[in-house]
Amino acid sequence: MNLFGLLQITGSALLAQRERAEISASNLANADTTRTIDGGPYKRQNVIFAAAHPLSNGFAATLASFSDLHTETVQVAGVVQDETAPVRRYDPGHPDADATGYVSYPNVNPVEESVNLMEAARSYQMNVSALQTTKAMIQAAISIVQ
Amino acid sequence: MSLMNTSQLTLIEKFLDLATKRQSLLVSNIANVDTPGYRTQDMDFHGEMIRALSEDPETPVSATPRDVPGLLSRPDGNNVSVDREGLLLAELQLKYQAATQAMRQEFSLIRSAISNPT
Repeated sequence: MNLFGLLQITGSALLAQRERAEISASNLANADTTRTIDGGPYKRQNVIFAAAHPLSNGFAATLASFSDLHTETVQVAGVVQDETAPVRRYDPGHPDADATGYVSYPNVNPVEESVNLMEAARSYQMNVSALQTTKAMIQAAISIVQ
Repeated sequence: MSLMNTSQLTLIEKFLDLATKRQSLLVSNIANVDTPGYRTQDMDFHGEMIRALSEDPETPVSATPRDVPGLLSRPDGNNVSVDREGLLLAELQLKYQAATQAMRQEFSLIRSAISNPT
């Protein structure tokens, strides 16, 4: 793995953290959505991160398998729905209220989502720092031949 | 020992190779800062450097990654410390720049030897 390959590892993390932030934003935006295509209130989405070996197929993977170092990119292994029960609030005037007058609202906790969003932003910044370091190293290596 | 194959150049070359390998571990750690169950990977830089220098100059450097002991694990099994990785990242970048400067210096010496025959 050369220095340019490291950009790929950092890139995978930037992508994963961005997706996490997008999902969190979607949760926040739909914190009061009572109607979805599947019926019922919106359900909170969660991303799952998994470590993966870079270049998982083809010639490049075979070549990489000769490498002695076990470096890992990160990928979003899946987006899962939080199946906890919806929050029920008494609001008989609401068009989506059931026979007893209760409305099912999404199981989204705005505080939790805000913290999640902040965490994603910080991790993103950390990876940008790593990217800048790698870039500076590549530039230093190029400067040898100047 | 020829003109273009000085012991200095070999030393710097090995250092840069090992630094690249370490950088790949640090970057990998930072990328997986939120991956459940991921363990911080690093290598014994000093030990690997001594080993690399004892080997034949033509042998490509190799390094064995290992788990880093003494780091605090979070409940999800991940033990990446952002402070540790950030610090090492900055340190490695500066060392890398110092080594590339030393290499340029070495080449400029060789160049002056070529251009100033007496």
